[in-house]
Amino acid sequence: MPTYTPFAATGTLSEPAHASQLDVAGELLALLRDATTEPRPDTQLEALTLAVAADLPVLLWGEPGIGKTAALTQLAAALDLPLTTVIASVHEPSDFSGLPIVGDDPAEQGVPMAPPDWAVRLVRSGRGLLFLDELSTAAPAVQAALLRLVLERRIGALQLPPGIRIVAAANPRSSAADGWELSPPLANRFVHLQWTHDHEVVVRGLGGTWPRATLPRLDPEGLSEAVDFARRAVCGLLSARPGLVHRLPSNETRRGGPWPSPRSWEMTLCLIAFASAAGSSREVLSLLVRGTVGDGPGLELLASLDRMDLPDPEVLLADPAGAALPERGDLRQAVLDGVVDAVRKRPEKSRWDAAWALLARAVETGAPDLVVVPATTLAALRNEDWDVPESIERLAGAVSLSRRADHAAARAAVAAKAGR
Amino acid sequence: MIPGAPGTLDLDKLFAARLHAARVRPYLATALFALHVVESRRVPTMAVDRNWRCYVSPGFVDRTPVEDLAGVWVHELSHLLRDHHGRSDRVARERGLVGPGERLRMNIAADCEINDDAFGDGLVRPEGAVNPGSLGLPEGELMEDYLRQFRLGPHTQSLAWLDCGSGADGLEREWDLGPDGAHGLSAQERDAVRFRVAQGITARPGNAPKGWQRWAEEAFHPPQPWRELLRAAVRSAASGPGAGEDYTYGRPSRRSAGVPGVVLPSLRRRPPRVAVVIDTSGSVSDAELGSALLEVAAISRAVGGRRDLITVLSCDAAARFVHPLCRAEGIPLVGGGGTDLRTGFAKALRARPRPDVIVVLTDGQTPWPGTRPPCRTVVGLFPRQQASRSWDEDDPDYVPDSPPEWARVVVIGSAPAAR
Repeated sequence: MPTYTPFAATGTLSEPAHASQLDVAGELLALLRDATTEPRPDTQLEALTLAVAADLPVLLWGEPGIGKTAALTQLAAALDLPLTTVIASVHEPSDFSGLPIVGDDPAEQGVPMAPPDWAVRLVRSGRGLLFLDELSTAAPAVQAALLRLVLERRIGALQLPPGIRIVAAANPRSSAADGWELSPPLANRFVHLQWTHDHEVVVRGLGGTWPRATLPRLDPEGLSEAVDFARRAVCGLLSARPGLVHRLPSNETRRGGPWPSPRSWEMTLCLIAFASAAGSSREVLSLLVRGTVGDGPGLELLASLDRMDLPDPEVLLADPAGAALPERGDLRQAVLDGVVDAVRKRPEKSRWDAAWALLARAVETGAPDLVVVPATTLAALRNEDWDVPESIERLAGAVSLSRRADHAAARAAVAAKAGR
Repeated sequence: MIPGAPGTLDLDKLFAARLHAARVRPYLATALFALHVVESRRVPTMAVDRNWRCYVSPGFVDRTPVEDLAGVWVHELSHLLRDHHGRSDRVARERGLVGPGERLRMNIAADCEINDDAFGDGLVRPEGAVNPGSLGLPEGELMEDYLRQFRLGPHTQSLAWLDCGSGADGLEREWDLGPDGAHGLSAQERDAVRFRVAQGITARPGNAPKGWQRWAEEAFHPPQPWRELLRAAVRSAASGPGAGEDYTYGRPSRRSAGVPGVVLPSLRRRPPRVAVVIDTSGSVSDAELGSALLEVAAISRAVGGRRDLITVLSCDAAARFVHPLCRAEGIPLVGGGGTDLRTGFAKALRARPRPDVIVVLTDGQTPWPGTRPPCRTVVGLFPRQQASRSWDEDDPDYVPDSPPEWARVVVIGSAPAAR
């Protein structure tokens, strides 16, 4: 059987002392490849790493030549997994479903479906990263066979062991050369990650310094806490918004993309747990969540996560003097609204007073205009026999501000009338 | 800082204006409160950066009445919500516009997009606000469209001072605190705020002007270029399994040689047959039809359809004739009057051999077949805004037949906002 001689091996043959043209070319190539790396946060790669760690099928969408393969190489190195790349477009469906091998007595023994060599090697090693590139340029029949591989993890009669992670890549519809398109049920099984290039990174990389992503490490201490957090986040949103549990994509624009279903919510739950155990940023989580359930539901989930981060109204009411209110105006107003709402649900004199103290604190530590609406609502909650607390004096600034806005509104109305 | 002293920023006045703005535009309250105020003496009036900071000149606040300031708040916020900085960068890249003069034009165009429906209804138009009319331009268009229609010249001289900051036109200013400065919003936080505002508007569309409603609908699902969508739809219909591609034993697979005794089928492609049914009733303009038809013909050829496999039916009350498409150019269209697409479908399906794909180009004001035809269907729909408005307001019970579930619908002619 002929054996291949890798090109690199020719260099080990001892050549004559004088350098041939190829040696000089080799030197030049070595110089060109000599690049350093610098650490740089990379949200795309971090999201990809988390999804692969969570063992969910990932589909990278990106224009050709954008560095998807380079990213996978880096990911394989980081996870310490051997990388196997399969270019889908040069294969036939039978490469993935198995080739029939006729034995001595087919009627008696059947015809086994033999898997290709790379699959056998992959299964034998037990662990590895399988990268299915160019999914979109393969023939539809090949794509169908590949999807079975991704989703069922089977190649012919071979079952891939759990230590093998699979990532697929496709070109977006606008640049796909063929009729590649995911049907909604298939799209629902993937975590869709949009792969784009960062202009700055490319220029710097071509100049000799490529980024070295610092990859997330799961914290073994915080695992159960992460699961708890993820369950609360997803269940909290879905019990408030039952309509989000299942929603098929309705228009052509959203076809082939992520959409919410019980399956994809389960994937989201898993991803939130991983992101929170790894201490990832919201940007990373945003990429993952929006890539799993779609933009709208994903953003709603992120918004409800933001609200989960806000201080609990009951805690604030228990200790108004020591309360730490968020710095950002819109979040601060959400907290104050929550406090007033809590008082409305269980109106008691002490709680009412505590709420006034909180509002006074908010006026002193931030913009007064966002206290006006909560204060008006709170004032309306007053019981007849409740005395007005002293802290209300400290709200004088907000009251005069409100009056000023009233005057402005009146003037605007007059101006509008005069203009007509 | 002593409030009221000359030269310091009168925060109370500024916040009173914000409160007024939030009261008359409740759906913008979240976003208004999310802006972080930065006092700056280098800003001529008020300006925003892409990280949602609002730079304010103390002098400007002093000399501007509260109700005008409220208008400026909403105006500056609109730049951020409508992503004018991102869109400016894209336009600059696409059209090769460089230099501060071009960025000023983008700022003016963005102002025109905002100002035509931002004011009124409790909000006073601030003095000196640019509106499309003063430049002799029509109202209700997008920044990208305005940008094509005017140049800097004597009539824009008075606008040269205009500066809404990097949040409006994408050009970094010397006063910007940059992405790493304090109190900026990250991309994810900006998306979250924009999303909440959009949700507030779509939840109660009656309260917001048309421009804001359109923004809210498209904020997170910008319409895609219809050509690409149509291309994808027709391609996937024509090259999907079952249409024009199958395994055949008529010619054994090349791999059979390696497996003696076994007959492997090989994959065969046969070019897909595409029937185009065209609604030529008076309500569709020739220009629309021509561009859509050329597109379909080009796509069909790209997926391997030979010209003799593409047939075109022009269809009004009755389908008049079927003729083979000889050239993509100069397709004779015959028609006029009312439409019944059902006859068009029937005629297309009567052809032998049957088409693999039917592409229908229509404005949708027509009855549809009651059952799913035995081949893939792609509908290119010309949107009819007038019709939709009249059924909203004048006759709420009348709803024209929408294209059926089994067809893939691509809306034609809706140019994306961010182009």
